[in-house]
Amino acid sequence: MSGASKTSMERLEEKLCTRFEQAVPKRVNSDSHFVWRGRNLTADCLLQIGSVQYLIRFEQGAIKECRRGLPLMCSWDFAVRGSARAWEELWQDPPKAGWHDIGALIKRGEMTMEGKLHPLIANLQYFKDMMELPRKGGSK
Amino acid sequence: MAKFEPIKGGYVNLTIDGIEYRVYYEEAGKGIPFLLQHTAGAEGIQYRCLLNDADVTKNFRCIAYDLPFHGKSLPPLEHDWWKERYLLTLDFLMKFQDAFIKAFELKRPAYMGSSMGGHLAADLAYHCPEKYCALIGLEGSLVTAPQHSRHSANDAYFEMYDNPFIGKEALGGSMDMIIAVQTPERRRKEITWCYNKSGPGVFAGDINYYNHDHDLTGKADRIDVGKCMLYLLTGSYDPATKPSDTKMLADQVKGSYFKEMENLGHFPVTENYDLFKTFLMPVLEDILKREKGKR
Repeated sequence: MSGASKTSMERLEEKLCTRFEQAVPKRVNSDSHFVWRGRNLTADCLLQIGSVQYLIRFEQGAIKECRRGLPLMCSWDFAVRGSARAWEELWQDPPKAGWHDIGALIKRGEMTMEGKLHPLIANLQYFKDMMELPRKGGSK
Repeated sequence: MAKFEPIKGGYVNLTIDGIEYRVYYEEAGKGIPFLLQHTAGAEGIQYRCLLNDADVTKNFRCIAYDLPFHGKSLPPLEHDWWKERYLLTLDFLMKFQDAFIKAFELKRPAYMGSSMGGHLAADLAYHCPEKYCALIGLEGSLVTAPQHSRHSANDAYFEMYDNPFIGKEALGGSMDMIIAVQTPERRRKEITWCYNKSGPGVFAGDINYYNHDHDLTGKADRIDVGKCMLYLLTGSYDPATKPSDTKMLADQVKGSYFKEMENLGHFPVTENYDLFKTFLMPVLEDILKREKGKR
């Protein structure tokens, strides 16, 4: 699809995906304390931004792979899916009340957690902090 | 020179339903007794800034306690508590209040509670308003909003927060979800750390009251603020109890006071006490005005 024919939603998703890709793997893996906090997390996560899916492979707290699009017949342990608006609002600095955390977004139906949630919940603070990395500044 | 705080701690033994509990409390100030109830799975230390605030303690005898199984209040020694699942109930909370007030010989205290303590403010207003001079509910509501879960709400909490495969840090992480984004990072971490150190299964058991026992649907309109004023304060950044949830309760309690607290979340007292104080002081001043000449 050419850039000119992209819808506003596709443009928003592309912008959000760029922010995510620039922030997350690099900032997690370059922060040794961040990696140490996730030392017990080894799992495959499906993270979805609007209609775009990512496969994130965590290995002892480091992100070993972060690829856009899932390979065929690919399994994952847990999924976090959010609407484009959910991610856009979550990464505002500061975010608006009710849009400021994955918990708030789940409650308002803009985000879901699916699959085997134990590894996600057991590493919730690590995961929340990772997902908020694209938000620059703020209290995090 | 070391800095001492004007807070005194102590233990009181209370008998509830034939079981003796050793209960820890901290107090500061003089004046109208002011009972301070902590949130689920937490402890009275949440009120440490308030207990150090002379603007409050000059007129109020502030007492923050740890419910049994919380903080420094151990499970009861003379009861085989480990043979049953810990579940907090409205009945226990009300009997605890009665026992505490009787032990300290308090005359019509004021009460303030947060989260489950906020729910309790409304329950006390419904069941026994004559025992209090004022009830302040922080992050309280008519009923806890239904959770989206394949289990009952209670079972979902036990699966996540009383599970040997999930460390207790998950509890702090969950509480982090409902703290306002404006909260100073050091305060945020104090809140989550306090949750991480709670007793096993206690938060999940407390949620039994929060999710199940507390339900004033069809009852709240019978609360009479002429017997005891009900004040409701809720943070704008609280997804657990949204301001609109509290307003639904306030709308049903004719004459009650409701205020949305901008830039605060589910733990207003501990997130940013100085900001919370700007919302609390008008309430305390109103209580003083109403109680003038009555004591």
